[in-house]
Formats: sequence, C-alpha cells, structure tokens
Amino acid sequence: MNELSRSAPERAASPAAEAWRMFRRNRPAMLGTAIFLTMLGVVIYGSLFGGDPFEIVWAPQTPPGEDGFVFGTDYLGRNLATGLLVGGAPTMAVGAAAAVLSIFIGVTIGALAGYYGGWVDNLLMRITEFFQVLPALLFAMVLVTLFSPSLVTIATAIGVVMWPQTARLTRAEFLKIRELEYVTAARAIGAGNGRIMWRVILPNALPPLIVSATLTVGVAILFEAGLSFLGLGDPNTMSWGMMIGANREYILDAWWPVTFPGLAIFLTVFSVSLIGDGLNDAFNPKLRER
Amino acid sequence: MSPLLDVRDLRVEFATRHGTVTALDGVSLRLEPGETLGVVGESGCGKSITALAIMGLIPMPPGRIAGGSIRLDGEELIGAPERRLRQLRGRDIGMIFQEPMTSLNPVFRVGDQIAEAILLHQDVSRDEARTRALELLRTVGVPDPGQRIDAYPHELSGGLRQRVMIAIAISCQPRLLIADEPTTALDVTVQAQIFDLIRDIQDRLGVAVILITHDMGAIAEMADRVAVMYAGRVVEEGPADAILDSPAHPYTRGLIGCIPAIDPALAALDRLPPLAEIPGVVPPLHLLGQGCAFADRCIEAVDICRKVAPPLTGRGHAVACHLHAAAAASEES
Repeated sequence: MNELSRSAPERAASPAAEAWRMFRRNRPAMLGTAIFLTMLGVVIYGSLFGGDPFEIVWAPQTPPGEDGFVFGTDYLGRNLATGLLVGGAPTMAVGAAAAVLSIFIGVTIGALAGYYGGWVDNLLMRITEFFQVLPALLFAMVLVTLFSPSLVTIATAIGVVMWPQTARLTRAEFLKIRELEYVTAARAIGAGNGRIMWRVILPNALPPLIVSATLTVGVAILFEAGLSFLGLGDPNTMSWGMMIGANREYILDAWWPVTFPGLAIFLTVFSVSLIGDGLNDAFNPKLRER
Repeated sequence: MSPLLDVRDLRVEFATRHGTVTALDGVSLRLEPGETLGVVGESGCGKSITALAIMGLIPMPPGRIAGGSIRLDGEELIGAPERRLRQLRGRDIGMIFQEPMTSLNPVFRVGDQIAEAILLHQDVSRDEARTRALELLRTVGVPDPGQRIDAYPHELSGGLRQRVMIAIAISCQPRLLIADEPTTALDVTVQAQIFDLIRDIQDRLGVAVILITHDMGAIAEMADRVAVMYAGRVVEEGPADAILDSPAHPYTRGLIGCIPAIDPALAALDRLPPLAEIPGVVPPLHLLGQGCAFADRCIEAVDICRKVAPPLTGRGHAVACHLHAAAAASEES
C-alpha cells in the first residue's frame, strides 16, 4: 500500500466495516468465500433445475466422462451429476438450520448463565454439561431413530447436540463483559437486565460468536452427511451423505460414486472453515501479528 | 429547605474470602439542591462504594446494605423496588465515571448512546432524541457536533469521551450528578476544562453535584462542602473553606499537605520544601480492628486512638478524632 492511499481520509468506520476490510485482505478467507458461494450457487441451481436424482438413466457404474455422463452413474445407473446437483440442498439446509438452532439455544443459555451467575449459572451449566458429555453422533442417531428421519428431525437432532459449545463460549464472554465499566454505565442510565444483556453485552460478544457460528455450520454439514451415510437420513431425499452411504459397498468396483459427493462435502466444509478462520483474524487483528 | 439527598448511617458489607468486611461504616452525607459536595479520600476508602450505593448499584451478592437510609427528596431508596430505581437512575441521578475510555460502549456511535439514554426515560421519537443528542453535544462543548455525533468512542480523545459521558449523564436533566473521579484519567489541561464544564452545567441546570476525588486541588476549586472519608467512614465533614483552612483531622491535614505549595522565591533558589506524605496505606478492610482506623498511620496517635473508634462530632464542621475532641473540650473549659 503506498503512502497516498494510507493517508487518505477515512470516514468513521464501524467495527463491522473495519472487520470486513480486514477480511477482504485475507486471501484464504476470500478463496473460501468464493468456493462457498460457488457451491451455494450450484446447489440452488440444482434444487431448482436438477431433475430427478432417483431416476435410472443408463447402465450402472458408467465411469465419469463416458457416454456423456460427466461424473458417471452409480450402482443403480442413476446419474451422479444430478445427484450432486440436487443432493447438496438438504445437506446445506440441514447444516444451516442445525447451526441456527444450536446458536439460538447456546446463546440464550450461555447469556442467562453468564449474566445472572449464582444458582442460575450453576443449574444451566450442569444442564449444558449433561448435553456435552453425551456422545454427539450417537445421541443424534437415537433422536433420528426415535422420530422418523425427516429433514426437520435431523436438523433438530444435530442442533440439540451442538449447542453446549456455543453456550460455554457465550457464558465466558458475558462473564467477562458484564464486569466492564460501560455495563455499569448502562445501568446508571436506568437500563434493565434484558436491555443490558441483549443490547449492551451481546453486541460486544458477537465477534467470537460469529466465528464459532460459522464453524458450527461446517460441523453440522459433516453431521448431516454422517447420519445419511449411516442410512439414518431421510430416504426420500437425495443427499451427498446418502450417495456415499449407498455406494460404499461398491467402492472397489467404482471409485467415482463415493469420491465426488465426498469431494463436494469436503469443499463445502473446507470453504466454511476458511471463512471462519478469516473472520477470526478480522475480528482479532492482534492474533495475526505473531 | 429539606435536603435533596440525605444519606444516614449507611452501612455496606461485602462477603469476601476473609469473611464479611464493612466497606461503609455509618456514612452520613447531606446535599442541598444545587450544592456541590466533595468526597475525598485515598483509593479504597469507600468513595466509589458510596456513589454506587446511592445509585442502588452495589453488586448483591457479594455486597449487602446492612443498615442506614438513603433519601432522595424524602423518598427512601434502600429497599425501593428495582423498577422505581431504574426510573430514578439516569432521570433524577446522573453519573459520570472515572474511565471515559471504558465507560462508553465501543460498538455504538456516541450519538446513539446519548439518544438511548433519552429514549429510556422520555416519550420522544428517535428523530427527536437524535436532535436532542446533537444539542447536548453542543452543550458539553464538543466541537463539530454534527460530525462527532456519528463517531465511535475509539475515534474520540479522552476529554471528548468524558464530555460525551457528561452529555449522557445530563440528558434527562437530573437533580443530582455523581462524578466519580471524572478527571483522573485525563491530562491536566483537560481536567480543568472538564471542571469548568461541570460548573457551567451546574449553573445552567441547577443540578447538585457529588464530586468524588482524591485531588484536594479539585475540591478547593469545586466544592461547597467536603466530606473526608477514610476506611469506610466519614472522618471530617464541613464547609470546604473551613476544612481547607483549618483541617481538624490528622488525615485531612495529611491530604492537604500532599498538595505542592509553590513559593516562587523558594523555587528560584531551588529550595522548595519537600512534599509531605502520609506514611503507609489504607489498611485492608478485613484487618480493621477496634479503634480509629487511621491510628496506625497517625503521627499524633495516643493510646485511646487504638482502643475506641472516635465518633463524628460537632455541628457544621464535624470531626471524628479523639485529639480534636480533647482540644475542643479544653478550649471550652
């Protein structure tokens, strides 16, 4: 950056705008954003115009590139390209919904525990620990098996096993921030507990929460794929995880029906991780100046 | 005229690892409308706790109000419902904090923070609140308020931030303004400006001020009356002139002795008298025994000082010191 642009006057930059500026200068993060937006575009296009992924269209296990099938066909002769296009939507939707749910529960519980402290904190943290020590995948499997597997139950199951982390993080932030002087100052102008929690403390606790939320999306996507792989997904919905699960027995005869969906999951989660990492750097510039 | 604020025999206790300590031990203060009361003392003597108690902001637990009363315009605040206290805070009592760096919320524009305080207590529209915020910024002497209203706290200097804090504190025209060491974190030149501003606002709004400080110079400048605090008690209380001219308590004398008096003749000869100091520090509250809390640091202490805590005696200019009581008694006889 040359001296001229450095000394150019800058208008009052909000903390968010400042973070965005840092983020934009971070190449891996921008790469992650590009990959993620591409995947998202493909998935949205696919769910609108992808066609029927269950339709048998050609000879089973046609290798990629042959007979006009870019990604080949699976063990039943279904077009993998269609599956990849259509199968991303449930994976991403469930991942996002589960992340939103876990963040909602986690932030609420963590905020109440951290703000009020005392017996409220004790009670809520014991509940949190109860959920935290449950083997997450196993618990999600039990929930999905108990209630018939549909996208809603899967998202709920994943959300319910993932919130403790967020709760602990939120609690830690609230414990730290509630002691700061501007919280006392807010109280001194007559703000009540609710206002102080959601309007004063939460906005200041957001940066680490946003980072963690992003990473939560990645983990939730992996979870969904894992459940589908184990055959616990919604059998009427094509998803990347289900494609891997259904084709895994034939991996020695045909590598492509498991590899391409796997790659799709990898790229999505990887891009989300890059974004989360970039956000972390953007919100904590000090961490980068090692 | 009834006092605006009447604090009587206030006792505040805190539960600590060392057991219960008494942070305020029978503190009484009175404040008339429009008056300035200076509260002085070293760090840890209970000044800020007194301010927080008046605001009803003592963290409970670990804190506890063990007794006494705080009346604002005759209304008892101790035990008042939280709803009522919330109404009073900000509307009737404004507060300015020590650290302008940390007492503004870093993620909101200062204009919004002032507007927020207005919206909490007054039934006005957002636009109206913003207009008033702009007016307030002008009142507190922020240059270029039209621009600064959209600034974030980190973009302002310490002095400007403190002005914004004052704007928030006076946004609802309170009757009482508590300034807890408002200039400690600021440059000396800025300190004088802030004091000027507080005095100016006092003249305009007729607000009563409690000025908490450890700076005797600030007291001399600002206060009508002074309460000197030590280890959770008021040890001397009276009109500012009387206390500054003839301090009766050894601790007050010590505090005044700490102000450098610069005599130009001596300064020219490079022979300024050494600055006085009070030996030792305020004792930890859990180690306070019976007797006068200041006895261990007092050069004049006699036997009785270590055995019996002296009561605050005298009207007008009151002192809590055995020596003073003895002197006064011998004068009378």
